[in-house]
Amino acid sequence: MTVLVPLLIALSAAPLAALIGTINRRATAPAAVFLAALSCGAVIWARAAGGGTFTRPWSPTWHLSFAFTLDGLAILYALLATGIGVAILIFAAAYIPLHLAHQGRSQADEPRFFVFVLLFMGAMVGLVMAQDLILIFLFWDLTAIASYFLIGYDQHRNEARTAALMALLITGISAVVILIGFLLLHWQHNTFLLPEIIQQATPGTTHTVAVTLIAIGALAKSAQIPLHFWLPRAMAAPTPVSAYLHSAAMVAAGVFLLGRFYPLVHLSQELLNGLFVVGLASMMIASLLALVRRNFKPLLAYSTIAQYGYVVVMLSFGTAAGVFGATFYVLAHALAKSALFLTAGAVTESTDIDDFKQIGGVGRSQPLLAIASGIAAAGLGALPLTIGFFKDELFFAAALARGPFYTAVAVLGAALTFSYVWHFWSSIFLGPAKTTTKPIPLAFMVPICILATLVLLGGIIVGPAANLAIAAGQVSFPALVAKTPAYHFDTRPENLLALATYALGIGIVITRRWWYAAVERFAVFGRQVGPERIYRASLAGINRLSRVIVAAELRDLRGRLTTVLVPTALLAAAGFVTTPTEGAYRISAFGWQDLPLALALLLTMVGAITTTIPRSHLTIVLALSSVGYSLSIAFAFFGAPNVALIMALVETILTILVLGVLSLFPHDVLIREHTWQEPRSLRYRDYAIGIIAAIFAFATAWSTLSQPAITGTVARDFMLMAPEAHAKNVVTAILADFRGLDTLGEITVIWIAFVGMLTLLRRRQVQR
Amino acid sequence: MTTMTRAIAKMLLLPIFIVSVAILVKGYTSVGDGFGAGIIATLGVLLQYTALGSAEAHKLPLVAVAPRLGLIGLIIALSVAFTPLLRGQPIMTHFPPPGASVLHFGTIEILTAVAFDIGVFLLVFGFAVGTIDLIALAHDERIAQQGADSLEQQIKDEDR
Amino acid sequence: MNVLLALAVAVLFGSGTFLMLKHDLIRVAAGVLMISNATTLFIMTVSLHRGRAPIYPLPEDQPISDPVVQSLALTAIVIGFGLTALLLVIIFRVYGLYGTLSGTAHPKQEESPEEIAALARHQRPLQRSPRRVDAP
Repeated sequence: MTVLVPLLIALSAAPLAALIGTINRRATAPAAVFLAALSCGAVIWARAAGGGTFTRPWSPTWHLSFAFTLDGLAILYALLATGIGVAILIFAAAYIPLHLAHQGRSQADEPRFFVFVLLFMGAMVGLVMAQDLILIFLFWDLTAIASYFLIGYDQHRNEARTAALMALLITGISAVVILIGFLLLHWQHNTFLLPEIIQQATPGTTHTVAVTLIAIGALAKSAQIPLHFWLPRAMAAPTPVSAYLHSAAMVAAGVFLLGRFYPLVHLSQELLNGLFVVGLASMMIASLLALVRRNFKPLLAYSTIAQYGYVVVMLSFGTAAGVFGATFYVLAHALAKSALFLTAGAVTESTDIDDFKQIGGVGRSQPLLAIASGIAAAGLGALPLTIGFFKDELFFAAALARGPFYTAVAVLGAALTFSYVWHFWSSIFLGPAKTTTKPIPLAFMVPICILATLVLLGGIIVGPAANLAIAAGQVSFPALVAKTPAYHFDTRPENLLALATYALGIGIVITRRWWYAAVERFAVFGRQVGPERIYRASLAGINRLSRVIVAAELRDLRGRLTTVLVPTALLAAAGFVTTPTEGAYRISAFGWQDLPLALALLLTMVGAITTTIPRSHLTIVLALSSVGYSLSIAFAFFGAPNVALIMALVETILTILVLGVLSLFPHDVLIREHTWQEPRSLRYRDYAIGIIAAIFAFATAWSTLSQPAITGTVARDFMLMAPEAHAKNVVTAILADFRGLDTLGEITVIWIAFVGMLTLLRRRQVQR
Repeated sequence: MTTMTRAIAKMLLLPIFIVSVAILVKGYTSVGDGFGAGIIATLGVLLQYTALGSAEAHKLPLVAVAPRLGLIGLIIALSVAFTPLLRGQPIMTHFPPPGASVLHFGTIEILTAVAFDIGVFLLVFGFAVGTIDLIALAHDERIAQQGADSLEQQIKDEDR
Repeated sequence: MNVLLALAVAVLFGSGTFLMLKHDLIRVAAGVLMISNATTLFIMTVSLHRGRAPIYPLPEDQPISDPVVQSLALTAIVIGFGLTALLLVIIFRVYGLYGTLSGTAHPKQEESPEEIAALARHQRPLQRSPRRVDAP
């Protein structure tokens, strides 16, 4: 049960914050920070208490169960989601009010932000702990939904909406791909429980296909090329969201999923090769693109793509060293990257600039920020004394074990990282001061400093972080045994490679002038032929298609009715053609006891025919209600008092409602409607169609009523069962008990209709 | 509307509610069910709308909260339907089970099926009263609009 | 007797269809209601046995009406009621947006400027110029 505590706290955080937000808007931000800290504390407590698993079947027929675990992998990612969540929320508590004021929006929008960040956090905690494939899918989609609302938080900006939709579509469609993979696994193993699947799994075609589908979804979420383009767009979100998306949530979820399914991924060498190609491409291309970004956040965005490319490459090695390196890399990257994002947000908020060309010398006025973000940048650039040094050391170690080609790639990638991180930090903080800066609030500084301290601490005392990563790696790769990395002052290959990286990085920085134009041309080329173009083209194509269909179907009301009624009529006609007519039509006897029923039916028919004669609306309504009442009488003679009662009541209330609605229209409009004469041909056509419909209905009803009665139906059972259900009225017993689900559906329909009416009529008041 | 109509309409509201509740709770033993009861209660409210006017009728205690009552009804019905799942029984398993003796309260039987019917009753009442209220509101707006229009017309005429 | 029942169903269905083909949206709504009435009646007529109401104590010797079709009919009536109410509100909204009750534009009769002005007055809350559904 221990394992449920962090899960429940994290999941209830968002509703609680929403509740607090409705009571007191200003209390939302502190409450959100508290709730995130509480979740973080709960994860730490549960880890100390030994983690464990929780499994309860809830729909055994479909092999569904509530299965959660708090293993090493879950702990690592849950700590990231909640811990970085706290830092982000502290930052946001100061940032969001400024952001809203900046954009001239109402402060009433504030609680929404915190609620969705907490929802995001809860979804991440659920995702990392879930062991049931369907649960994983649910939480996976929940992260996509939360990210949609967060990226689109500035809903009045077109680019924010486009970016939110793009993120939702890319990750949502890839989630469906994942679901197909899950269902394939279920088809093969007959269970949705991941541990059981891992036990049974054997290499094979189905297995490879299923896991490849899952990996595709994971790569899309981690913004790996070619499905990377949504991530730079998602920069439209407020900065704390970007920081969270890039470090601990959303993008991390992708590599988490790869880690979670690694025992399955590992079985297929083809898949590992594919992962290597994708990871390498992401690493190289995104690094190059990051080098030529002109603005803060896009540089960091491409950097994220590249960094997760490293992780994918390491996972693709399929070795213990690779898995350990990958998990450690995620941890180190999350700390450094979130600090850098928050730095970008703080600088932009204090100078109103987000362009490298216009910024400079901020370090003179903000020395503390410069130092803190310098540490974070050093962490990303893998300088010694930061946690980042070890992430690259492990990377080099894993690459060395694979061979010289991999080593060269690793050094090149790391050098590129080094140079764009240097570009980021030096452009902002060094050089002559180009702008004035406003003072930076304490709430901005605190999370950046905390994260920077962690980056530094992790570089000095690497044990705790390494233990987290080792425990996580063992879930992905059970055979993993690793030594805690440490500094070695000797000429081992890793150290030499690190030195080579720095040298190469400095070289890239110095020679910026010579290669800049070429790389920028590459970036432009990528924009012109890249996958984003395909995305936009397909979106436009789908829109065009839907417009064509709408234009064809919804031209006018009659056309729409025709599209429904003509096929129905054709089906009915086909039924007649294929049915033998012999003995199908019989005339049953007419007894005197049927006379009252016959009279009621006659009244019904008269009423119905009256409505077809052009008269005022009032006449039509009254004729309609007379039809209803005579039907009610008829039902009474059918031995159906329940139906008769309801029919009469409904008819009464409907008549009054229709009259009420009629009174809403100006008199002249109504007059115009019913005095307008249709062209004669149209009227005759309508009469003809009506009569044909009536003939069809007559034939259908007559042939049905000519069939001999069947005995021993469910009706008899229901009548016998009614006393057992403590009911005397069999009809009510059927409605409330035997077929209660139907009634449930019916009242749901009623409620939906009511909500529809509320929306339609309320809207009118809002638009005023 | 005359004072007489108003007075009678007001006096009739309570009896109508009593009839509807009677139909509701007796539904399992005789003609009627939650749906019919809900409509009857709504007709009582509708009478108030026609006799007292929508402004006054809207302030009646049950009317103001009707949509919320509807939601409560939906929740009751859903919880009656799905609570058995928690005990590992199929949806819509009622309590007491077949064969068990039923708690009687006069001729009224206490059953979860009756609770389900009460949910239906509340939902239908909320739906129908809410609908009437919406239409009455739209109606009032139109009258007000017409008044404003004719006033505008008068001012224009005077200007001429 | 069964012929008469079938005839009643047919007349209801036929007039419902006829009404649904009208341009006037209120008639269309009436047509929908009429067809739903026809359906209810049809459901009731196909009951396998007709007789006394299925309420305990059941008579031993007499036939009893089929309770299943009755509950089906009840469900049908209730849903018909809800949908008709929704339909009416939708029609009201359509009028609010387009200033007309016509599902198709009247081919010949164009609105005079005064009429448009009158419509515009009624439509002020929406702040949208009245326009008609374009004729195909």
